[in-house]
Amino acid sequence: MLICENILFSVDGHKLISGINLNIQSQKDLLITGPSGIGKTSFLSILCGLQKPTQGNVIYNDINLYDMSENKIDDFRGKELGIVFQNFNLINSFTIKQNLDIANTVSKQNNNDQLYDLLQRVGLAEKSHLQVSKLSVGEKQRLAVARAFIGKPKWIFCDEPTSSLDNKNTDIIINLIKEESLRCKASLILITHDTRVQSILNFSQVLKMGEML
Amino acid sequence: MFLMIVGMTIITTSILINQISKNTFYSNNPNLDVVVGSKGSPLQLVLSSIHHVDIPTGNISYKDAKKIMKHPAIKIGIPISLGDNFQNYRIVGTDKRFLNLYKTSLNSGSIWNKPMQAVIGHNVAKTTQLKIEKFFVGSHGLVDTGDIHSEQPYKVIGILNKTGTVVDNLILTSLESVWNLHSHQNKLEKNIKKLEVTALLLKYKNKTSAFSFPRLINKNTNLQAASPSFEISKLLKLTGAAHNVSNYLSLLIVSLSLIGILFTLLNNINDRKYDLAILRTLGFTRKKIFSLILIEGMAIAFVGSVIGLILGVLCFISIQYLSLFGTNVIIGQFEFVSELLIMWLIVMITSFLTCIIPCTIVYKRNIRSILLNN
Repeated sequence: MLICENILFSVDGHKLISGINLNIQSQKDLLITGPSGIGKTSFLSILCGLQKPTQGNVIYNDINLYDMSENKIDDFRGKELGIVFQNFNLINSFTIKQNLDIANTVSKQNNNDQLYDLLQRVGLAEKSHLQVSKLSVGEKQRLAVARAFIGKPKWIFCDEPTSSLDNKNTDIIINLIKEESLRCKASLILITHDTRVQSILNFSQVLKMGEML
Repeated sequence: MFLMIVGMTIITTSILINQISKNTFYSNNPNLDVVVGSKGSPLQLVLSSIHHVDIPTGNISYKDAKKIMKHPAIKIGIPISLGDNFQNYRIVGTDKRFLNLYKTSLNSGSIWNKPMQAVIGHNVAKTTQLKIEKFFVGSHGLVDTGDIHSEQPYKVIGILNKTGTVVDNLILTSLESVWNLHSHQNKLEKNIKKLEVTALLLKYKNKTSAFSFPRLINKNTNLQAASPSFEISKLLKLTGAAHNVSNYLSLLIVSLSLIGILFTLLNNINDRKYDLAILRTLGFTRKKIFSLILIEGMAIAFVGSVIGLILGVLCFISIQYLSLFGTNVIIGQFEFVSELLIMWLIVMITSFLTCIIPCTIVYKRNIRSILLNN
């Protein structure tokens, strides 16, 4: 279960996020929408332990995230959370396999068979030796999705995963995310404006930023 | 890394040469208490008679030498005669006790038992290819000038084992051989009044004679007495200044290399700040990333310093190898010097402290702002 209590986030004295309360059950999904600049990505960062809120608590299964030390938050994120960033955030100088190997090491799964299966499912197994800088946008997005699911995290966060993609690749990515979430029995928390995405994935909750839930 | 290699090479070579030269100076002196020779520079007397690197101060009468050897303060007195060479290796006329002084042992053959027989040192045999039963002629002087004593060749009858001292570079023979060659009459000079030696190597019966005996010789005779340990200490103090300069230069280079490592790491972490931020998002803790950067910096320092150490040792061995050709300087066997280990540890510790700076910078970075700014 993920609980957010009175999340408030200010930047330079200006309140970006104010008074968000959430309660998301395990294996349930959340859609986050809202106008541009409202603080959706900032809120996602708070949930992932990347940005401490000005006020409020983020609690995963009775563990208050920001009561832990930075090292423990990083460790928690590596093992329990998977993140698909809007701009992928892949290591361009590494190959596909190396990007996944790093995530594999951190998750302490070190399961090479699982890694290969994952590459097969995202359709990148034969290109695993290629450097990220040589991949297309669609391939990079698939890699970012694959990396998020290494280690079978319980919580998946996606920030506009299809914003750079055409319709065909959008379908591929969204179906990939849906299948992997089900396979991992993970909860999906996704930011998107794309109505196609909203229609493909069945969200149990919707957070319209700018409105209290 | 290049600067680290260069600095460590220079400092290693300098330490080895200095330390091993010191050890060799001390090992070349088989605990002799005093050297007596003709008047002149005491350092020159010691260097020529014990270390065989300088020209002698002159000759002394063998009659006077015998008197000194019989002095009540003297336990052992060994005369030596210098003046000839074979392919730049000095021929030393002396008595058989000289071999006991340096604890030599025969590799093959035997010690001389009549004039014009010679026992050669290990390096002499190796370089000149002289073997037992082979003949050779000496040249006049201490450097091979071509003015040879062709009328009376020497016969090699013994080859010594390696001692790591100056004996390896010497050709030893009886005093009579040298007298015979220089009598110009092709027969052994029997008139003791005309016989001369270059120096006397002496040991006291009692160390308290160290104060009175040299004074006795210097004031009351036309000879001089010099203390080998005292003269060599003086020399090492003088050369110590040059050694210090080379050490300071090496330290400067090593310091520059540490600054180089620091800036390399700072540039690296700046170039890779985005990648490092991604690692944090994947779950790499600050501690892990701190360790990664630290290991990287220490790897550069370690590899550079070890390569520098190896190159320094190779330089030293090359210098030692080259010293076999035509010179009478033995720098000495390579031996591990504790000063090297201490210096290497200091370099590692300083490298560690240098690497902490970029590691701390990375440790304190805010990953979200880096990801946003990318």
